[in-house]
Amino acid sequence: MLRTVKPKNARSKRALEAREPKEVEDPRIAIFVKGTKTGEVLNGVMKDMMALKRPDAISFSKKNVIHPLDAQNTASGSSSTSSLEFWSSKNDASMFVIGQTSKKRPNDLTFVRMYDGKVLDIVEAGVENYISMESIPGPKSTSGHKPLMHFASELFDTHPRFIQLKSMLMSLFNGEVVESIYLKGLEHVISVSLAPTPATLNTASASTESSTPLPKVHIRTYTTRLLASGSRIPRVELAPMGPSMDLVLRRHTNPDPELLKQAMKRPKLKKTDIEKGLGKRKKNTDVDEMGDLRGRVHVGKQDLSKLQTRKMKGLKAGAFEDDDEDGSDYEDSDGDISMKRQKLS
Amino acid sequence: MDVSTLLADHAEKLKSTQVETENALDVDAGYLTVTDPNPIETDSYESSLETHLLSLARTGTQALLNALFSLPTTSSPDGPLAQLPPPTTQLPRAKPLPKPKPLTKWEQFAKAKGIQGKAKEKRTKKVWDEERQEWVNRWGRDGKNKQVEEQWITEVPMNADIDHDPRKAARDERKARVAKNQKQHEANLAREQKARGSVSSNPEREAHKKELERTLAMSRTSTASMGKFDRKLDGERKLKGVKRKFNPTESSVAAEAKASLDLLTKMNSEARKARITEAQRPSKKSRTSRDAGAMEDSVLNVRKAVRFASKGRGGVALGREKTKGAVSRKRGRR
Repeated sequence: MLRTVKPKNARSKRALEAREPKEVEDPRIAIFVKGTKTGEVLNGVMKDMMALKRPDAISFSKKNVIHPLDAQNTASGSSSTSSLEFWSSKNDASMFVIGQTSKKRPNDLTFVRMYDGKVLDIVEAGVENYISMESIPGPKSTSGHKPLMHFASELFDTHPRFIQLKSMLMSLFNGEVVESIYLKGLEHVISVSLAPTPATLNTASASTESSTPLPKVHIRTYTTRLLASGSRIPRVELAPMGPSMDLVLRRHTNPDPELLKQAMKRPKLKKTDIEKGLGKRKKNTDVDEMGDLRGRVHVGKQDLSKLQTRKMKGLKAGAFEDDDEDGSDYEDSDGDISMKRQKLS
Repeated sequence: MDVSTLLADHAEKLKSTQVETENALDVDAGYLTVTDPNPIETDSYESSLETHLLSLARTGTQALLNALFSLPTTSSPDGPLAQLPPPTTQLPRAKPLPKPKPLTKWEQFAKAKGIQGKAKEKRTKKVWDEERQEWVNRWGRDGKNKQVEEQWITEVPMNADIDHDPRKAARDERKARVAKNQKQHEANLAREQKARGSVSSNPEREAHKKELERTLAMSRTSTASMGKFDRKLDGERKLKGVKRKFNPTESSVAAEAKASLDLLTKMNSEARKARITEAQRPSKKSRTSRDAGAMEDSVLNVRKAVRFASKGRGGVALGREKTKGAVSRKRGRR
């Protein structure tokens, strides 16, 4: 655990304040860590992923003994998550991409997501059929531009492993909330699609941890070319940009439910946002085409039998029965007034 | 003029951007993300993988761009900016939500009274000077708050003292303002610390510390050299405002006798006895201090409230008035 530092001058104070929690968060800074052994493939993968993630990417180019998914008491002694936590606090980073190759798990890429300086969840995948960015000719995207993301398969909505993968990749590349964007600056797409869903997964999607192998994940990146279509909306053509790779999902950890609950907390919506129509929808109000706010008011069912119609002497109930009309009338009205008073008070 | 050809043309143009899929694509414009919920077709996947992936990605991207280009835009110096809606996908945060800052005493009061003051808008460092027609510092070097002190000529009021120095008066006033603000700031910080319940907010310990410091100061001043040659303790602060004072060695017998008698009566006095007994019963003392603390915590200033309610005539008058009022009201009801 790092000791809390008290800033000694204005510059370090500003730097510390920039690291404090914010309501609308900055993009996650990712650290690309090399494990004890990384092959040519993984070096290329990490380099290209860094090119996509820049400027929010930090490279740890030296070898590190790190096995976040292995048990605590490995040969290295300390647990690997503790060093992840240390790096996270030192660099203000909340994502890690760890590359490591071994005989048992060749070309292993591990994505680690952090919350509040602690490990939230981990996804491990093997890289196959890697084609680097350099080997594909053509224009490349400018670094710092936001990518579009495309996920194709119904499993991204149904299968927990792929939901987690989608969330992880979105956190890595696109997890920043922005208010507005320059549309001509959308230069590239990261497309993530799956192999056809095996029949076993299709039928019993809920019963998860079966022995059937999960479908392969194809990650492709394309540059976009916007062609004039004659209308406001352009027609898009894609050209491969690289890197492209296939991932085979391996081990993973699920987030700690308590930690996840904290991480999913949203800021309270401001009053102006609620008026704009965000959050809980206000009932029975709508805006008509003139821009006026219209409301509907619910009134309970009316009892029409007690409706006061035109008063006529001949229609009075006791008109022909009682002699002392005036007296009874007076009493009635008095009683009414007293009732009203009671209601008011 | 035949409109049908124009319409057909337009429809043709639209066709190139339209996306037709079995299930509608799920577009999250806030995160610039599109999810295709249609199952992958095995035939096209197996026949040629790359073309299949490219066509899938093109369809998805087209759908996403259709959504993005139909968003409302605002103009900016760099070109039109599309206003993105808030994202629909929930991603975990990287850090916890920021904690709300505790209110200062003034903010508490303003909130209780429904006052909206200048506190809302942030005070800028620079202010506009009408005379000089330029932006000047609000404080600091050549600050606006030092204008009176630094101007080369100052009007002196008619009835001013002979040694009245307008520059010094203005400076003292400014220094007093700064000191007051500093004091209030510290009080706010202390209240925040207390509310947070930190270690140093142990009242007994604090009281003990204060008492020790007092005793130490007294013991220092009880030597003839006012503690100048005493052994210094670690972290001991230098006493301020301590001066040696020597009475004349020769004084009249009457004065000497009076001083001695005074000392004796002082030692035997009722006030001293009362003080001693009070010191021996610390429970009562602590209770009163706690009460004072409770009073201090509340926003309402009781003394001012009584003065306001009684229109400046005091609490006794208020009580008398209240009883009288109750009696008269009773009478009135009858």
